[in-house]
Amino acid sequence: MTRTLQEAPAAARRPRIGGWELALGVLLLVQLLVFSLAVPGFFDGVSGLLNVTTNFLPFGLVALGLVPVILTGGIDLSVGAVAGFSAVLMAVLWKHFGLNLGVAVPLALLAGGLLGALNGLLITRTRTEPLIITLATSFVFNSVTTALAGAEPPSGFPDSFNALGTGALGGVPYQLILFAALAIVISLLITRTRFGRSVVMVGYNRDATRYSGINVDRTVLGVYVISGVMAALAGVVLAAYYSAVRSDMGDILLLTALTMVVLGGINIFGGEGSVLGAVLAVLLLGFLRQGLLIAGFSDMVTTMVTGAILLVAITAKNLLSTPGAFTRRMKERFSRPSTAPPEQLTK
Amino acid sequence: MPKQSLKSTALIATAALCVGAALAAAPSTTKRIKVAMVPKLLGLSVFKANEKGAVAASKDLNIDFLYTAPVTASAQGQVEIFNSLIARKYDVITTTSNNPTQLAPALRRAMKMGIKVVSYDSDVSADARDFFIQNTSYPEMGKALVDSVAKYIAPDAEVAILSSTPDATIQNEWIKALTAYMKTAYPKMKIVTTQYGYSNPTQSLTAGVNILQANKNVKAIIAPDGGAEVGAAAAVEKLGLTGKVFVTGCSNPDSIRDYVKKDVIKASPLWDEVKEGQLVMHVARLAANNALQKNDSFTAGSLGKFDVKNGVIVFSKPLVFTKANIDQYQF
Amino acid sequence: MLPLSRPPHRPNAAWRTWRGLLESRELILIAATVLVTLLAGLINRDFLAGSNLRFMLLNSVVLGLVALGQTLVIITKGIDLSVAPVLGLGAVVSGLLATRDGLPLWGAVLLVLAIGAVLGLINGALVSSISIPPIIVTLGTYSLYGGLIFLYSNGDQVNSVPDSYAQFGNGVLASWFPVPIPILVLLVIMLAVWFLLGHLPFGRNILAVGNNPAAAHHAGVPVKYTLTSAYVIAGTLAALAGLVYVCYTGSATATTGTGDHFELQSIATVLIGGTAVAGGRGSVFGTVLGSTFLSVILTALVFLHVPAIWYSAGEGLMILLAVTSSSLRRSSSTGRAA
Repeated sequence: MTRTLQEAPAAARRPRIGGWELALGVLLLVQLLVFSLAVPGFFDGVSGLLNVTTNFLPFGLVALGLVPVILTGGIDLSVGAVAGFSAVLMAVLWKHFGLNLGVAVPLALLAGGLLGALNGLLITRTRTEPLIITLATSFVFNSVTTALAGAEPPSGFPDSFNALGTGALGGVPYQLILFAALAIVISLLITRTRFGRSVVMVGYNRDATRYSGINVDRTVLGVYVISGVMAALAGVVLAAYYSAVRSDMGDILLLTALTMVVLGGINIFGGEGSVLGAVLAVLLLGFLRQGLLIAGFSDMVTTMVTGAILLVAITAKNLLSTPGAFTRRMKERFSRPSTAPPEQLTK
Repeated sequence: MPKQSLKSTALIATAALCVGAALAAAPSTTKRIKVAMVPKLLGLSVFKANEKGAVAASKDLNIDFLYTAPVTASAQGQVEIFNSLIARKYDVITTTSNNPTQLAPALRRAMKMGIKVVSYDSDVSADARDFFIQNTSYPEMGKALVDSVAKYIAPDAEVAILSSTPDATIQNEWIKALTAYMKTAYPKMKIVTTQYGYSNPTQSLTAGVNILQANKNVKAIIAPDGGAEVGAAAAVEKLGLTGKVFVTGCSNPDSIRDYVKKDVIKASPLWDEVKEGQLVMHVARLAANNALQKNDSFTAGSLGKFDVKNGVIVFSKPLVFTKANIDQYQF
Repeated sequence: MLPLSRPPHRPNAAWRTWRGLLESRELILIAATVLVTLLAGLINRDFLAGSNLRFMLLNSVVLGLVALGQTLVIITKGIDLSVAPVLGLGAVVSGLLATRDGLPLWGAVLLVLAIGAVLGLINGALVSSISIPPIIVTLGTYSLYGGLIFLYSNGDQVNSVPDSYAQFGNGVLASWFPVPIPILVLLVIMLAVWFLLGHLPFGRNILAVGNNPAAAHHAGVPVKYTLTSAYVIAGTLAALAGLVYVCYTGSATATTGTGDHFELQSIATVLIGGTAVAGGRGSVFGTVLGSTFLSVILTALVFLHVPAIWYSAGEGLMILLAVTSSSLRRSSSTGRAA
């Protein structure tokens, strides 16, 4: 990669309210307005509008977890499987082992982190593309989940737990509070900690980062752990929302969460992007999906629209980057990825 | 009073009685209501047959009809649809469910907001619906399923079951009924395995093949689901076992017509799905008008008279399709 | 810069080493398949019955066709998730037109080839001209094409196909040559792809692009055209596989393809078959052997009464194994720790 390290840390530290984020914000406001006016049943008071977010914030949690991963130039396709696994694990521990949910939930999050660590280890140790590793692990996690869930997956959680998914505090849904808090945490993690800085640098120029003494493998491992934990959290929230678990409940998470990250302006090759953009994209895409559903379009249509937005967003991002970036992207796309040890490149 | 006016009074009175009776029989249709039909999944022909009947009945009952479902047999997908129907302030939600308990919270919320809930085919928890239309009596269906194959196999033969999803209410009720009937009528017959096809043709075919390959002595497959029966029949044909293994189940005639004609399926019980769809709309209309009690009886136009017991309405006796009669039914 | 007519020198040394290793992967697969067959046959005689062997081969054809297309894409360091809905589209469109409008078989063949080519072209264009990562492009087209099936069929299912179709999917060409037609189709396509990859300039271009696109570009290889063509072939074969599917099973729904995760299965088959994830090299025979091996393993698991729930875990483990073993081999052959 040809970008110099000088640019990276500064960009990561500057609060990014660039043009892209501004455009997203405007689009969000316009969309809310249009839906409120055109779709009966969409706008039901401010608290009603906030309540709509409980339908899509699990996607947002996964998207937050994907941000660090994509910033390093990687990808995690196993998020849906991890979410499903953690939710089913939590339910099984509660139902069949009699554990209090207050214990089962942290265990589920721990499991998510461990699965993420497994991804990270496989990626760093075998030097294989994250794409394939996480694809394979999603396969494995999915079927373990199916076996674990059994014929009758547990359901009917206590109301105190379900409140996490559907309840609110003073009109603000618990999910929204959780999401906002985590968004701030992850944003601070990326912009203000050393770990965050290494995340951005790894995505920007992996070899230079290694040369400057930063442990790239540890950074990569860390981001997959974060992704795993966030996916597990999303699974737990979904379980609370439906008051039930199913082995395939995480399947829908990947496409939408990935679209949210891409739409949020995070560079798919790594090294660039802000959590604020991701948050705005979460709201934008989430309200879009809900608005379409409430307007009566089938889920098939919302999935197609999400797919179309993914393609449009990334095309736009590619073409609108600074002039000359197009050819640079082409070269980057076609150059050998630096997953191989540096010595090989000198051959 | 002169004889003439006595006669005319009698005539007018009789006419008034007739009109009154007619009015009492037909539900009030003055207010246009929005009714949604949400089957387990889109794309299963039995449910499309329901839709046909429902669409026809909606015209007569002044109903704004919507037919929608998730793409796969997913309870989650149905819940999302219910949420959208609640937001759009629908009057009645009718549904056949993928899972009895998972849909309950959303449906209860709908009922709290004044939306009537009518389940049919595959029920939900009793407290999450106003009325339930049961296709046929479960014991009768169980008997019909077993008898459809028992005639062609030995009384001590091995039998397999190919169902839809492990938690689908209606399949589990039928399996319970047919197991109970088998114990009394054919005590030596054994059910050696139960597999699941998830109402998906490929998975049903694979499950059918798995059953036949892993259990060489199975002589019949009972597949109480539209997708499962087609998959089981295809599996029998593919492995060249036509005439050695018999299939029965609950599928609409169009999907199994070829297999019935080729003697892979000798007899297959169902009911008139199209008429059932009409009945669902009738009950929806009555429920919206608040004109039906939990223990009641009513007439649904040309469909006839029905009793309501504890909110449950049984639609009909099993209708068995065979080579002789299958061409009379096109759905 | 003079355009060269062959790819740059650098891969050649690696080529020879890799060819040796690849051959061993194919041999391993053949040995493993025979071993599993014999073992399962020992435990259950019926496994070795002619009808079962025929069934296992036939069962692997659809996956094999899709995987052949996926092989080319993976060689270019890409990935194609949209093969699943393209397969579904091929199955549903041909099935519905056959039963409702009496489309003749040859018409169906032409139709699905066209559909697959166009959908693949869209993928290829997006990947090559706007340089969006293939995973993103095909993730997007996966949902777009999936929705297309619904828009076209309106949820209608295919429940049976005309006799000519069923014959195509299950029958043989002639009684003195009792090889089922789908297997013949797979063999023909396999030979065609093998010839393309190994002996035609286009095939060398695909390998070059996968190995080092920048160098290939400098050497005069038409990178964009090559990339696009790989996706076009993948789409065409996927749609053809859909036609074979609907002829073989006699049924199709809007979730055919996606519901059975043909995209993941085809990737698994390709990787198990020895094609490297890093691109630049691939084995056509390995892919077909891989699909046969998977079919044999899955059938063996059924015969051994292993619960169906564990099947996809097995597939995932095999992908991991295939992928990690090639990377371990890579590092040991170059003499350094991974």
